[in-house]
Amino acid sequence: MAGLGAGTAVLALADARFPGGGHVHSGGVEEAVAAGLITGVADLREFLFGRLHAAGRLQAVFAAAAAHAAAGDAGREYWTRLDAELDARTPSCAQRAASRAQGRGTLRAGRAAWSSGALARLAVATPRPHHPVVLGVLAAAAGADPRGAALVAGYLAVSGPSSAAVRLLGLDPLAVNAVVAGLAAELDGVAGDAAAAAALDPADLPAPSAPALDLLAEAHDRHHREKGRLFAS
Amino acid sequence: MKAAASLRVELDAHRRRTVIGDLRSASPIRLVPRRGKVAAPGGALTVCLVESAAAPIGGDRLDLHVRVGAGAWLRLVGTGATLALPGHDGDHSRVRVHLRVDPAGTVEYLPEATVIGARADHRAETRLDLAAGARARCRELLVLGRHGELPGRGSSTTHVLRDGAPLLRQRLEVGRPRLAASAGHLAGARVLGSEILVWDRDPAAPSSGDWWSLTPLAHGGSVATSMAGDTATARRRLAEAVGHHPAHRDRSDRPGHG
Repeated sequence: MAGLGAGTAVLALADARFPGGGHVHSGGVEEAVAAGLITGVADLREFLFGRLHAAGRLQAVFAAAAAHAAAGDAGREYWTRLDAELDARTPSCAQRAASRAQGRGTLRAGRAAWSSGALARLAVATPRPHHPVVLGVLAAAAGADPRGAALVAGYLAVSGPSSAAVRLLGLDPLAVNAVVAGLAAELDGVAGDAAAAAALDPADLPAPSAPALDLLAEAHDRHHREKGRLFAS
Repeated sequence: MKAAASLRVELDAHRRRTVIGDLRSASPIRLVPRRGKVAAPGGALTVCLVESAAAPIGGDRLDLHVRVGAGAWLRLVGTGATLALPGHDGDHSRVRVHLRVDPAGTVEYLPEATVIGARADHRAETRLDLAAGARARCRELLVLGRHGELPGRGSSTTHVLRDGAPLLRQRLEVGRPRLAASAGHLAGARVLGSEILVWDRDPAAPSSGDWWSLTPLAHGGSVATSMAGDTATARRRLAEAVGHHPAHRDRSDRPGHG
């Protein structure tokens, strides 16, 4: 990743402009809006707080582990195991599909922008990698540490869904941006925890779960097929 | 209180009936075989899990080790809800259940609800180690607080492995009111139900409805999930989810009702 420092890579990966396909996913926001669980900025704040501590925490953990492994030249066996361990922590089919769709988009965009041996090895082991794993490898390729990779993954777990809420409910973008900014301390904590776990064996990585997110993802998938939804997840 | 109970079942010498190989109760975990100690040929041997004292309370470390031998079929059923209560010194309570199933063996682990009482700090850990070709059905009903009270805190951790490969790993933490209320976490539900099903054919596609789902896992097996404000509704939703599993729909080789 010649010419780009770690800081720039982290910014580019977290940028909504990054062409990884994240903009078509609402992270459960569309279903929660349809169910009347999010009607305004206050509900959104609480939804994102929960999402950060479940989906965000899981994604941060796997991004940090991937960044740690990429810096250490992990081989094919590691990437295959990491992939299976994230599958095991994602019981919802819809969430696995969303993660792999974004992973594939991020892999394609990442390969076009930067060259990385670890990225090539990851793509050989898992042609359709999970999103946080690709993020971690790309962040590491630029020299970012596991904590930086975890910050990107945790941030994307709330920033994309917040934009979806603006589109779905016509919320005030300034107020929604303030909500995301208000999660900074929580996000720091999540990224710090993830970085502390990054060197663990994949089997021992944390496995945070949130049943409401799983059920919203499955309900979204059903309604997407039955009557159409704006977002893919 | 520290206690470790264990149970081993296996096929008899004719390889037809499941019998008890070894049974060690350890207060407060009491294991009681139902209707004698021998199962019908090809059928499940039912053992009841009886709470023999007020447990668990803070400081308790309870272990249950279960081994199902090749071709044997064990149905382990609860007889009453488990109520986790705080101890005197603020220490947590822990209940760890480890189920190992050999090739072509079957385990049905169907405990009653675990209620996390006010101020309790309870950690439940369930590990299911399946051989290739083994079948399992493993249920959990977690109730956050007795009626009208705020729950304490705790976690429920589940690991399911088949032939050493992970099928499911989950850790649900409860006890932070803001997370409990968040639509992105527990959505205000008081009762959380789940049932792991590794039973012959997996569902080809997920099914879902109002606060329930049945989803095939990525590497085999499936999990049913439900959430509700009360236990009866959570049970009904969980039963609806489980009812979409092919083993229930075919009715030819149906998991028993616990």
